[in-house]
Amino acid sequence: MIRILDITFKDLLQLMRDFKTFMFLLLMPILFTFLFGYAFGGFGGNSDSRLPVGYLSQDNHWVTDSLHDLLSESDLISLRENVFLSPADLEQQVANGDLAAAIIVPHGYGRDVLKNRTDLRLIVIADTNSTAWTSVEAELLRITSRLDGAVRTATIIERIDSERMPFHYAFEKTLDAWNDPPIAVTETKSPAVAKVSDSGAALAHTAPGMMLQFAIAGLLTAAQIIVTERKTRTLQRLLTTSTRRIDVALGHFLAIFLLLFTQFTILIVFSQVILKVDYFRVPEATALVAVSAALCISALGLLIGFAAQSEEQAITFSLIPMFVFAGLGGAWVPLEVTGATFRAVGHVSPVAWGMDGFENIVARGLGFESVLLPSAALLGYALLFFSLAVWRLYASEEK
Amino acid sequence: MENLPAIEVLSLHKAFGENRAVQGVSFKVGQGEIFSLLGPNGAGKTTTISMLSCLLRPDDGDARIMGHSIRSDGNGVKSALGVVPQDIALYEDLTAHENLSFWGKMYGLRGSELKKRVDEVLDIIGLRERANERVGKYSGGMKRRVNIGVALLHKPKVIYMDEPTVGIDPQSRRNILDSVVALKDQGMTVLYTTHYMEEAQELSDQIGIMDHGQMIASGTHDELVKLVGGQTRIDLTVNAEPQRILGAWQSVEGVEQASVEDEKISLLVADSNQVLPHLFEAATRQAVRITSVDIREPNLEAVFLHLTGRALRD
Ligand SMILES: Nc1ncnc2c1ncn2[C@@H]1O[C@H](COP(=O)(O)OP(=O)(O)OP(=O)(O)O)[C@@H](O)[C@H]1O
Ligand SMILES: [Mg+2]
Repeated sequence: MIRILDITFKDLLQLMRDFKTFMFLLLMPILFTFLFGYAFGGFGGNSDSRLPVGYLSQDNHWVTDSLHDLLSESDLISLRENVFLSPADLEQQVANGDLAAAIIVPHGYGRDVLKNRTDLRLIVIADTNSTAWTSVEAELLRITSRLDGAVRTATIIERIDSERMPFHYAFEKTLDAWNDPPIAVTETKSPAVAKVSDSGAALAHTAPGMMLQFAIAGLLTAAQIIVTERKTRTLQRLLTTSTRRIDVALGHFLAIFLLLFTQFTILIVFSQVILKVDYFRVPEATALVAVSAALCISALGLLIGFAAQSEEQAITFSLIPMFVFAGLGGAWVPLEVTGATFRAVGHVSPVAWGMDGFENIVARGLGFESVLLPSAALLGYALLFFSLAVWRLYASEEK
Repeated sequence: MENLPAIEVLSLHKAFGENRAVQGVSFKVGQGEIFSLLGPNGAGKTTTISMLSCLLRPDDGDARIMGHSIRSDGNGVKSALGVVPQDIALYEDLTAHENLSFWGKMYGLRGSELKKRVDEVLDIIGLRERANERVGKYSGGMKRRVNIGVALLHKPKVIYMDEPTVGIDPQSRRNILDSVVALKDQGMTVLYTTHYMEEAQELSDQIGIMDHGQMIASGTHDELVKLVGGQTRIDLTVNAEPQRILGAWQSVEGVEQASVEDEKISLLVADSNQVLPHLFEAATRQAVRITSVDIREPNLEAVFLHLTGRALRD
């Protein structure tokens, strides 16, 4: 049993001997998280960098309420409502640059939309030469056409099946369908979205993404130790001693785990303290996801180490999870914005579960229960990878 | 226990696909003996050793190491065994001391015993002063010595050394050969592979000659040499047509065979001391000068040549 720890200790000693690599593994993630965080617009934590848009409704219709809901859900604009302000006040604020634009909903707007009449329009006050306006205009167009589309579809459905599908219900359904569009990729591709998106939300996504991304870099380094061990025949020599193969596997596994877990811990503390990504909101949940993710990625590292015949192969093997798992798993782009199909496929990747786990804590504000499923999935993957690695070690009959 | 052979190999077979690397090798090594496997590259020496150390599973046959079967009692085999692999199997980014400590632990040593053995082994391999340098910075000979040292840590009853002197300077080589003899003196059994016949000759109680996966001969050095009739070969060159002197030399008493190849005359003789003066006399009578003499006592090289028709080393 104690030989497991001997092997772990030896591996860590080797890792630390390679000082530059060691520092790379621990410092680069911090640097990158920092840079990306900065690129997403500072570290306000809770600050809202959406464009402020004034909103004044003179209409009292449920369609108008739907419009209001859609606007307030927007990632691009942040509604500023003050019932005490007159249209003139809003105009003044836009002129001062306090607001990017102001929307005034005229009386009867909702009814007209429903009747498919276009004589009444939204009144929008804006400086049409400003760059902010381009973004706001696009967003407004998107939202109004979505509302319009929902109304028309509901009208059609009602005409077809008025008995079973009352208009209200059809309208809600159609609007909901927009919430989960089959393919929403076009939205995410728009650079405007990224540029002005909420920095807090961006960081809450970037920080875990970076963390998992670099864990895979760490995995590669650790897997290299195993590959080198085979290449220098020290692995074979180990197998001529009375040390059991399972102990060899566990020793290496523990070493990779400790490396990755240290990485995670440093990054979590750094993100929490400096970037204000709120990992400590549910500390036990963060710990559980971190341990599960580290176990899972370590097992993958072990598998790569035992499966690769050369350093080059190990790199190739590691690039696959790096791109496929991290890309597919949403470490680069949130899976939310990629549509349902991609999201489902993405969850083949353990990284997706890792992202889910961390984001449930830091981005979605969910509780401890929310990380149980992602953690279980990660542990399942860990077990799968570890078994494959051990099988590979036992099956390998080396000269 | 006394009479139990340390190593008993029973018709081992191993093929890699079409390549039949080891085909029915059998031999026996008594306790405290040095047994050398001598053979050219690709003869199957390492494959045999790998099977005997439970790294490779034989296709057929078995072997017992101190009574433990390599098929059914791998753990028993491994605990009796120290293996010096052909390739230097060390962690280059760790120091010699760290390497020895680590391997000692893998052999099950702990605490003060481990410390003591590491120091003792560092003395044996003569690297105590430089024990805290990284192995990667060592010369080839020093690495080889550490490579051997690792296998000595747990004082195994049986030690395998697979070509431990390949590619090193004469001084390190001497050091290694001496330490092999020292091991034998301490009662260890050594299975040694090499393609240097001088080493096999100097060290071994028994020698097995391998070629193409088969043991083509085995026995003591003297027994093996008898296979070629125990004759000495004398190669001579002269300052005239070889044919002018060949007849005279053929009739000298003690010359059993004579041949000419290129400009060189080769004679097989029973005793070179007795024959040589007559050869010079005959040459003088024919007014031929001998320009070079090369005496080759019977050796394993000749045995190998005799058995396979090929030279041991190309
Ligand atoms: N793992 C392997 N896979 C395939 N073929 C192998 C393997 N190991 C050895 N061989 C082949 O088996 C034969 C015997 O090789 P082996 O290494 O046992 O020879 P050797 O006597 O140790 O030679 P050397 O003096 O060069 O070390 C060779 O033809 C070699 O190519
Ligand atoms: Mg060999």
